[in-house]
Amino acid sequence: MTPILELDHLTRAFGGLKAVDDVTTQVNQGELFGLIGPNGAGKTTLFNLISGFTPPSSGEVRFKGEVITGLSAHKIAHKGMSRTFQNLRVFPNMTVFDNISVGALGMIGVGPMSSLFGGKARAKEISERSYEMLERVGLADHADDLAANLSYGKRKYLEIARALAMKPELLILDEPAAGMNDSETTELAQFITGLNKEGLTIMLVEHDMGLVMGICERLVVLASGRKIADDVPAVVRQDPGVLEAYLGGDEG
Amino acid sequence: MSKSLLIKLGLLVLAFILIPALLMGFDKGYYYQIATIAAIFMLLAASLHLVTGVAGLLHLGHAALYGVGAYVAAILGANHGIGFTLGLPLAGLSAAAIAFLVALPTMRLMSIYFAVATLGIGQMLYLVFLNWVGLTNGPNGVMLFSGINLFGLEIDSDLGIYYVVAGVVAVSILVLNRLSHSYYGNALRSLREDDQCASAMGINVTVMKIQAFVISAFFAGIAGALWAYTTGYISPNDFHFSQSILILTMVVVGGLGSLPGVLIGALLLILLPEALRSVGDIRNIIVGVLMFSAILFLPKGLFGEVSALNFARRVLGQGWAAQKGEKGIGWK
Repeated sequence: MTPILELDHLTRAFGGLKAVDDVTTQVNQGELFGLIGPNGAGKTTLFNLISGFTPPSSGEVRFKGEVITGLSAHKIAHKGMSRTFQNLRVFPNMTVFDNISVGALGMIGVGPMSSLFGGKARAKEISERSYEMLERVGLADHADDLAANLSYGKRKYLEIARALAMKPELLILDEPAAGMNDSETTELAQFITGLNKEGLTIMLVEHDMGLVMGICERLVVLASGRKIADDVPAVVRQDPGVLEAYLGGDEG
Repeated sequence: MSKSLLIKLGLLVLAFILIPALLMGFDKGYYYQIATIAAIFMLLAASLHLVTGVAGLLHLGHAALYGVGAYVAAILGANHGIGFTLGLPLAGLSAAAIAFLVALPTMRLMSIYFAVATLGIGQMLYLVFLNWVGLTNGPNGVMLFSGINLFGLEIDSDLGIYYVVAGVVAVSILVLNRLSHSYYGNALRSLREDDQCASAMGINVTVMKIQAFVISAFFAGIAGALWAYTTGYISPNDFHFSQSILILTMVVVGGLGSLPGVLIGALLLILLPEALRSVGDIRNIIVGVLMFSAILFLPKGLFGEVSALNFARRVLGQGWAAQKGEKGIGWK
């Protein structure tokens, strides 16, 4: 299996606190990969290290074999990595369609000159790709609504559609099921599995074990910034260290 | 005839036939002056709209960049014999160049710090206008007798000057219209909404903010040159901080992010004080109260962004529709 993303002894310290401590793992091409851990385990920090929002203190991130440590977030996005945010960051005062278009236009590229002279072909490409993603997540009826006026669940799908409009090779979802009820989570799980079946590599970061255990092929468990398990769900589920981390009483 | 074509034709007729006809009917220099000032401030408001309304950067030094354009045009005209045809673009480019230098170190600043930085730059330029007597003639200002010479054609009638100003402003606003009502505009809006998130979409946030700032300064410089050529006399007070606030007020009262809104806002804030001239000094209080109530009751502006974008997409036909006959949801 070819790895698409490799983390090599990745560490990030904030003062004396090591939020991510010497994490080494890899995500393979086409995999549905899970990253779990209790609150405060360092998942979001690890995630920010991968997507270029926070520089690591030491260690290396490789994407498609190329070192991307220290690159800015927009450059990493152009390499084919796309992410969503834990606390739902849609553009509230833009319409649903315009939100999705930002994902497409970031990759296709727009500039003042292209929008003034002969940018018709690009505008058409952005429009069509955005519309395709809009339909894909079933928000076509809401194309014109402000993102701020959507329900919580729909905003989650909007964020995923915007990330998909980037046509990424690796999609990283940060706690997509947070705040969803059971039936919504099941629906989301089907949607994510569907994307993965089409060949998209997905990394799922979750606090809740349920979703991840159900759909991921392989899991990494973080606790206090360290990797404590890296295996298939069936094995991770039995791992005493993992049980300790989750049930050991320091959750929350 | 489609509705969009009708509206576009209507606006053209209004700006280039009806208003000139009215001005000729009254035939008073004062009315011509008001009309050109209104047009210049419409351009100032439209250019600030791109930075503050669309890209969301609170810019408090716009009048100083307007001043750069005015001084470049006036000094080139008065001391170097360079007239309108070359002076106008040079004024715009100079303002853009200064904006670029200012933008390099300040664009990474967060919102409120950026506002203070532009305030500082504005004051600095104002003090240069006021105190660099050798270049700007200091508080006495610069007189420009040459007027407008368009490719060898001397334009000195009030009507001719109105046409030149209206023409330049109309073309500039068309450009700004295209920039704000396109996917480029969407990219700028995403910076306003959440710039970190925009960077995760592959947008180079710093470059894009600099672009918006520089383009806006270019048009402020053009407006400054128009001011210098039409009034024939400029002095530092024309470009004081209070003018930046006046332009900002036009943008906010008209509607942050709304191009038609800010044009209405500019018209209102120029014409209203003039229309109320007969009631004496109390007019300033009346204008103040109206501005205050406008913000209180219409916090999104006289013509809010949502309606403005719908107007551009549906009525002016700039929207992209998924299928023929459907309403436009994207941009063409």
